[in-house]
Amino acid sequence: MSGSAVPHVNRKEYLLVFVALAFLTALEIGITYIPGVSKFALGTGLVGLAVGKAWTVGWFFMHLNHETKVLKLTVALPFLMPAIYAFVLIADAVFRLALL
Amino acid sequence: MSSSAAHHEHHDILPHDYPVDPEYGRATLGKLGMWIFLLSDAFSFSGLLLAYAVLRGGSEVWIPKGAPVLGIPFTAGLTFLLICSSVTMVLAYAACVEKNRKGMVLWLGLTVLGGSLFLCGQLQEYWGTFAFIFHHQGLIADGLTFGSSHYATTFYCITGFHGMHVLTGVIYLTTVWIKAARGKFDDGNYNEIEIAGLFWHFVDLVWILVFTFIYLL
Repeated sequence: MSGSAVPHVNRKEYLLVFVALAFLTALEIGITYIPGVSKFALGTGLVGLAVGKAWTVGWFFMHLNHETKVLKLTVALPFLMPAIYAFVLIADAVFRLALL
Repeated sequence: MSSSAAHHEHHDILPHDYPVDPEYGRATLGKLGMWIFLLSDAFSFSGLLLAYAVLRGGSEVWIPKGAPVLGIPFTAGLTFLLICSSVTMVLAYAACVEKNRKGMVLWLGLTVLGGSLFLCGQLQEYWGTFAFIFHHQGLIADGLTFGSSHYATTFYCITGFHGMHVLTGVIYLTTVWIKAARGKFDDGNYNEIEIAGLFWHFVDLVWILVFTFIYLL
């Protein structure tokens, strides 16, 4: 026998993730209607919520939580590149705008 | 052993019977292949979103005077629809693990329906195809035409590129659905459904980011 382990199906987890995603989506929309929030705070909050939701889908629905560390790194490390690129390019664009 | 026998045997191995790889555990070759493809696809979306961010970051006025504003409630509904179809997708995988054909056919069907409704939503948003239901003629008729501004062009490039992925996913999942209905996965071999699920969840994941960057910010 190969000692195989049929994956454990956790429907409760799936439904909890669904409720969390739905709640976070409603929260995202809600905070856009709050008056007086600074653009920076709003942007940071929304991007944080979006990245958190994206991570949740990847971790639970795409089963990264059951994969090996190497596969997790294979997926996660490449995303450092767009993140660095985004920071540099947006900072540059905003800096140029300030020069006008 | 002849190559076709090896090939045949390779496809009959249940994922959890796969030889354990020191780095990648029981991840099948198909799953690794899909992950690598999704990474490359994620870089395509990153490029488009970065271009959008740089253009917007460097412009004093982003939404030109008179240009229509994007409808958040409607697209929030589309976002919720995609989240629901991610759940039905993962429930289809669960049904396959449990060798439950009826469950597979039900949940895969609902997933395909969710994707199809999302595409109908996008047709309505762009062209007002379902104006008889939503009483809105669409962004193009409102003046948001491709090329009229950075605002318009980045909107159509990014949401259109994502829409093509949803269409691809609907076609891909329909083929998996037909196989499931024919009993192809009755042996509990969830490899193909899991791989199709990776693509579909990725499409949902990207929309979560697009919805925030394009519509909410």
